[in-house]
Amino acid sequence: MKKRLSLLLALSMMCTAVLAGCGGKDQEPQTIDDVQENTEEEAKGEAAGAQEMTFVLSNEPDTIDPTVTNNSFATPFLVNCFEGLVTYNEAGEVVPGNAESWESNDDLTVYTFHLRDGLKWSDGSDLTANDYVYAALRVLTPDTAAQYVNMISDYVVNAEEFYNGEKKAEDIGIKAVDDQTLEFTLKESCPFFVDLVSMWVYFPVQEATIEANGDKWTTSAESYIGNGPFKVTEMKEKESFTLEKNENYWDAENVTLEKLTYRYILDVATALTAYENGEVDGVRTIPSSDIARLKADNAGVYTAPSYGTVYYDINCSVEPYDDPLVRKALNLAIDREALINNVAQVDGEPAYSFYAPGYVVDGKDLTEGRSEFGLSSTADPEAAKQALADAGFPDGEGFPTVQLSFYSDDNVKKIAEAIKEMWEQNLGIKVEVSSADWAVFYDDVQNGNYEVAAMGWSADYVNPMSFLPLLYTDDVTNNSFYSNPDYDAIVDQAKVEKDPAKFGELVKQADELVSADYPVLALYYKSNNILLKDYVEGVYMTSSSNIYFKNAKVLEK
Amino acid sequence: MVRYFAKRLGLMLIALFLIILVTFVIMHAVPGGPFTSDRNLSEEVEAALNAKYHLDDPLPKQFFDYLKGLLHGDFGPSYKFTGKTVNDFIANGFPVSGKLGGITIIFVVLASIPMGILAAVKNGKWQDMVVMAVATIGVTIPSFVIASMLIYIFSFRMGALPSFGLDSWKGYILPVITLGGYSVSYLARQMRSSLLEVMGQDYIRTARAKGLAEPKVIFKHALRNALIPVITVLGPTVANLLTGSFVVEKIFAVPGLGVHFVNSVSMRDYTTIMGVTVFYATFLLAMVFIVDVFYCLIDPRIKYD
Repeated sequence: MKKRLSLLLALSMMCTAVLAGCGGKDQEPQTIDDVQENTEEEAKGEAAGAQEMTFVLSNEPDTIDPTVTNNSFATPFLVNCFEGLVTYNEAGEVVPGNAESWESNDDLTVYTFHLRDGLKWSDGSDLTANDYVYAALRVLTPDTAAQYVNMISDYVVNAEEFYNGEKKAEDIGIKAVDDQTLEFTLKESCPFFVDLVSMWVYFPVQEATIEANGDKWTTSAESYIGNGPFKVTEMKEKESFTLEKNENYWDAENVTLEKLTYRYILDVATALTAYENGEVDGVRTIPSSDIARLKADNAGVYTAPSYGTVYYDINCSVEPYDDPLVRKALNLAIDREALINNVAQVDGEPAYSFYAPGYVVDGKDLTEGRSEFGLSSTADPEAAKQALADAGFPDGEGFPTVQLSFYSDDNVKKIAEAIKEMWEQNLGIKVEVSSADWAVFYDDVQNGNYEVAAMGWSADYVNPMSFLPLLYTDDVTNNSFYSNPDYDAIVDQAKVEKDPAKFGELVKQADELVSADYPVLALYYKSNNILLKDYVEGVYMTSSSNIYFKNAKVLEK
Repeated sequence: MVRYFAKRLGLMLIALFLIILVTFVIMHAVPGGPFTSDRNLSEEVEAALNAKYHLDDPLPKQFFDYLKGLLHGDFGPSYKFTGKTVNDFIANGFPVSGKLGGITIIFVVLASIPMGILAAVKNGKWQDMVVMAVATIGVTIPSFVIASMLIYIFSFRMGALPSFGLDSWKGYILPVITLGGYSVSYLARQMRSSLLEVMGQDYIRTARAKGLAEPKVIFKHALRNALIPVITVLGPTVANLLTGSFVVEKIFAVPGLGVHFVNSVSMRDYTTIMGVTVFYATFLLAMVFIVDVFYCLIDPRIKYD
């Protein structure tokens, strides 16, 4: 952090120097050793190198239209070509984006955002509060088929009614009071609405280009108009996308990187070779088996904790899994350390609850000091057998064969097979594994047509409310069919709690209550790894795995 | 002969129709749909999506609507990639796959036929052994292994060739070898055995008895007939190579058509599955047809009536 600050300082000093007309062009070039210590020289080294870099993406998004997609593969485009009312800084905190300030009424049902002066689209036209209203309307129009529509319709007054054709556009609780003031009226008080508007479904989109090009506005560089630090200048389908600095971005003077090329290499092994050969400067996805080696080699692994959990759903609506003791036994029999380090070889922390660390209240993560619910990072066969005996299956006798299902994926397969072994060894039960490709698998899971199934969750926005519905009775994301009225009641309370400290308490309470019931088989908390060469500075990734390039700088190689 | 080819053309259309029908039925019989994703969609959104793409129509109507579109050359919109059409995929992907495939075909023909002739002429000698050993390796080792080995040696160890992309002529070398490896080996074996068989025939003995020089016997008399089985195989091979390979395109990050064959199925992108299948099937049928025409030109004994 300190280093970054001095770097920024140095940069601004350099800019002033250049502006004052006394740029140090005629000075001798510096050696790398000088650069290390002297921040001013470091900034000079930067100016010498071309501010261009190539970053490899391993998955293609379904679309790069922020109003349509919920696909995380789209984020490299969405968060760098667009900016919402608020955004995230390097520390992962919400900071002003297009809005310079905001306030809410006392009961947190009306939020008012004040946009900055002189906001522009990448084509130079003015961006106003009306563009935000237009984007939200687009999301709420069924024809758009917006995948994240719930993120607006669940919260904003009359949004759902409009979607269902019961209300008119002017009834929706999103209003442009004037060109620079945007007002959201919510159904009920929502303490985390500012976290929510950081999501791209709340980003503005330009009416002119969408009216002119329809759904195809995202398929050519000319019509893909955004408002972020970068704009797309060339699109080569499935091959590479070139982004260049957007001079019309409100903070363009602080954007150093001139050109960012996203190169699609779908094969992660090829991408790694290209990186190690120095053909590219960064890679989005690292083959998990190489992470340990790359870290040891100091090859530039950048790790950010991710607000997400890898777990197995246990179908709580069928026998014998409706018995918490059975679920406890299944949990106790798992050696999480072995799964993380030896089987999956991922970068992760053992998990005992579905709720992941990553949300901070008053400087403390909500999961700090949380109970481990009688579990530990290694298996406890004795306790596991005891729990299974208490449930009526001493030594696993009479326990039906467990149907363990997973989706086609190498890593998921390894874990499933290890779990089968652990259960058979530690509990004396029979386990049958089966796999299907994602679409088939997920269809079954959603319909409750499974017993134990591989799953995972990455939060859509950084707030516990993106996790809690997972176990809320009859929620569409509740695939374990768990139901607990006490838990539901606490979640209902948390949803409307205005005081952050009390909200945090409620979340803790809900988590402790429900995790002691072992509704899922939590395995580990994920972290995100990307590769970046050491001459690239200032790229940062948030816990929702959004990668921001707006502060990126290329130092001398 | 015209009648024969007209009949063949009619059969091709029927085959094509059946391919479309069967693909359509199987595709819809597989569970899951284009909108099953890792994040749950609410029922309203799914209904909106289905309505947008007419997936809520009865299947027969969907099928005939699709056929109607096909007759106008419209493969429909991609269900998975908003704003893109299957025509875009083919228009963008086929030239890339086609260029790579075209170069590969030239490589395959130039490498396999001489290899096969050499092996046949030097039957049982060391040249034969070497050619057959190489051909066996090419047929048995899967292309992704060959690709990984090539990348490891030529780009990781030696740094001589790029590990991905077709940005310069150098980029073509490794993908062409990987893509063509199997076909070279297969065709070389085909060429060898076919030439050996022809060399044993009576008219070759006659030619030799006339006192013709050996090269003339081989290249003027034997080769022409020996090429027929090779050309039979070459037809589908050309269709295969031109429409792209999933493995090669994925490993070398080639933005071609091959990736769609596999990805569209796992994503249940219905129109893309249909589009690439129809495209490939048409191509394949056309190649087989062309091969039939070639038979007449090469072997005067073959007559269609």
